[in-house]
Amino acid sequence: MLHKRERPGAPSFRTFLSTVFSYRKKAGMAAWMLHRLTGLALVLYLVMHIIGLRSLTDPVLFEAYVSTFRSPLFKIAEVLLLGSIAYHAFNGLRIAIQDAFYRSENQRRLFYGVLAFTAAVVIAGGLVLLYPYFIMPLLP
Amino acid sequence: MTPPEETGGRLSEKRFRAVGWLMQRITGLGLVLFLGLHFWLQHMPNGFLATAEEYNLMLQQREMLTQGGQNPTGAWTAKEALPGEHVITYSKVVERLRSPLWKVIDISLLLLALSHGMQGLSRVLGDIIIRARLRRTFVGLGWAVAALLAWQGIRVIMIAGMNTG
Repeated sequence: MLHKRERPGAPSFRTFLSTVFSYRKKAGMAAWMLHRLTGLALVLYLVMHIIGLRSLTDPVLFEAYVSTFRSPLFKIAEVLLLGSIAYHAFNGLRIAIQDAFYRSENQRRLFYGVLAFTAAVVIAGGLVLLYPYFIMPLLP
Repeated sequence: MTPPEETGGRLSEKRFRAVGWLMQRITGLGLVLFLGLHFWLQHMPNGFLATAEEYNLMLQQREMLTQGGQNPTGAWTAKEALPGEHVITYSKVVERLRSPLWKVIDISLLLLALSHGMQGLSRVLGDIIIRARLRRTFVGLGWAVAALLAWQGIRVIMIAGMNTG
């Protein structure tokens, strides 16, 4: 069996952390970190989502389940969810494009494109999601 | 000398990772389409959600049922809709899922999301857990949970629209 001490620099949580903190802040590193973070968050959400949707077998349970997520705090969480999905999707497309064409000199520009598309989706979708809770009450 | 982790391991494990790399692209592209559609249908205001008026009318009708003693659970915790709010309801979801095409779409989305998520998680675990046997145990455990969730999800999608009129 392989052991950590025999292989310095082998991937482990400690080398992961030291790599993160030793790395110069660059677009590629930020893209990778965000892709992992949003990916892990979405896996966690997916598990809770599937478990929660077991209530779809009962009308009363289902309306109660949906109502727990109809609050200002959960609406903000929904915008964060949309942002995670949008970033992970656009960055995933960027990775697929780079794998297919390997235009490495364009990768930073592509990453800024990913951020711009994500921001556009979050602003457009966020306004719609937050409208009844945060924007409508402010209107005369 | 032991080879670096990304290229190391048994031949079967290497082949599994290569297939996983390709699958991650295929399921990822599928998810861009299916999850985009899913978020649009279930989170954005459109005909697949109840309007505030429809929702509050439904609540009124349900409250009458409760007062009449016909609601067996009696525990009704749904909130009134705010003006302009669109709410996902049981009847709207079941109405949509009555069509076999929507059942196929939703089950595809479920399986795409689970396989993509589990594949990604096993990549992360591969980076964090150094011991091969421990890593295989965790990855195997993850796939077992994913299979359980797939079964749960498919069961719910198949039942929806079958038992109630």
